[in-house]
Amino acid sequence: MWNVAKAFVPPATAGVAAALLLASALPSAAGTLEMVRQRGNVQCGVSEGLYGFSERNGQGEWSGFDVDFCRAVAAAVLNDPTKVTFVPLSAGERFEALRAGRIDLLSRNSTWTLEREAGLGLAFAGVTYHDGQGFMVMRDLNVTSALELDRAKICVEAGTTSQLNVADFFSANSMTFEERAFPTAAAALEAFRSGQCNVLTRDQSALYAERLKLPQPADAVVLPDVISKEPLGPVARADDFGWLNVVKWVNFALVNAEELGITSGNASEAASSRKPDVRRFAGAEGGLGKLLGLEDDWALRAVRARGNYAEIYERNVGVESRLGIPRGLNQLWTMGGILYAPPLR
Amino acid sequence: MILQSLSAASGPARTPARLSALACCWLVMCFPAPAAAQARSLAAAQETLDVGDQPGRISTEEAVIRDGPFARQVVFFRSNEAPGTLVIHTSERFVYLVQGNNRALRYGIGVGREGFQWSGLVQVSRKAEWPDWRPPPEMLTRQPYLPRFMAGGPGNPMGARALYLGSTVFRIHGTNQPETIGHAISSGCFRLANGDIIDLYARVPLGTKVVVRHGASL
Repeated sequence: MWNVAKAFVPPATAGVAAALLLASALPSAAGTLEMVRQRGNVQCGVSEGLYGFSERNGQGEWSGFDVDFCRAVAAAVLNDPTKVTFVPLSAGERFEALRAGRIDLLSRNSTWTLEREAGLGLAFAGVTYHDGQGFMVMRDLNVTSALELDRAKICVEAGTTSQLNVADFFSANSMTFEERAFPTAAAALEAFRSGQCNVLTRDQSALYAERLKLPQPADAVVLPDVISKEPLGPVARADDFGWLNVVKWVNFALVNAEELGITSGNASEAASSRKPDVRRFAGAEGGLGKLLGLEDDWALRAVRARGNYAEIYERNVGVESRLGIPRGLNQLWTMGGILYAPPLR
Repeated sequence: MILQSLSAASGPARTPARLSALACCWLVMCFPAPAAAQARSLAAAQETLDVGDQPGRISTEEAVIRDGPFARQVVFFRSNEAPGTLVIHTSERFVYLVQGNNRALRYGIGVGREGFQWSGLVQVSRKAEWPDWRPPPEMLTRQPYLPRFMAGGPGNPMGARALYLGSTVFRIHGTNQPETIGHAISSGCFRLANGDIIDLYARVPLGTKVVVRHGASL
């Protein structure tokens, strides 16, 4: 999905827009944390609707992986995960909304790239979800690796980075393929369903969502191979380092909580643990919260809101969701993934 | 029969008395204990599946987890372990067969209840097809309706295959209750659907290194 947005903004236009934005008036340099406190809520930019990441139900309640991150920030800062105003944003307007101060934080499956930081005056607070382009095939093709896809017919959405990446991947691995490009993602999926091609390529998280739209989802498998880097993470304004630090360390706290075994279920017992790192996390020792301008139990509040990283992942996109996306790269570094958070000390 | 096999697996130094205790022990450990289950907290009960053994219930070799996260599938998995190693994540309810090149074959498992989860490094010390079942006296006291001996077969709670883990009381085995995959119900053994344990059994030779991990605790 983010690929689409990137592909539809010609580089020249993006550059001009960035220059215009830099010249326009910016919100006051410091004090997002103070503003959030005075206002009593966090204004969080999210996707208008992306299964597993941000969705709104009939009652107007938001849920999803990106939504839960907003709630964790609100819990850390305001001690109340419900104090969030969600601002649904299109791919085209998301960064401008952040720059203009309409939101405090963007949590909207946005890929961390050089252009977006150096060019737009924004800063990524880290990576919450390591996505990447993958392949979906029908199970009866009996393929377990992308390296077995030589001479495959591949459906792809035209004009996306996915289209470019797949060509690079096959060329680099001395394989050939027949491209079937379609103007929309829906058309590419329909072509895959009807057998015009035997492979569909897109970002992996999107492939898992597309799989659910097939008449027999179990007949299709998403291969484990990832052929591009799409690190998705929350974004803040680069000129407010204090607030950026708060957002960054909430992310680290959620990952560290999983590593330490702190969950929404046992958070109240963490302060009485005998392990020093658990006690520091709980704010029982160390006084770390004050350095961020928060209460000492800020990290524990963040976890109590919607759980640690594993809880948030599994509920929204993992084994407890219909998507069922394996943790893959988004697993702790100790457990076969690359999630590695600096220590709280 | 079990005693003889264990003896072969764990070396000549073991005494028959010790083996006898072990054999009883693992049979107790591997199956749900209703008495203990009743004492569990509400929170634990929500996460676990409260189900007793159902000897005689038939589950065939064809029973596999077809869809969803607990279906057998190749996944991305970074590991420093050599290809062929089994890595069990009890908190995730998965066993991974490391395949190198950052991938692993992943199977859904049923694991031990809270308090019965363990971690460690062991080896596959013995393999058995359609293992027999001898409920030990402690288990018969709690569940007097259980048979004294049950020959291996499709109605046996041990399922189609068993991989014995070192000299511990624990096993990776099949089940005649495939709906328990993904839950914490046993007392420390790891169970797979029969079709899945058959697939795994064929890929895992004697002596395979098995790493058992679970999440940290406070």
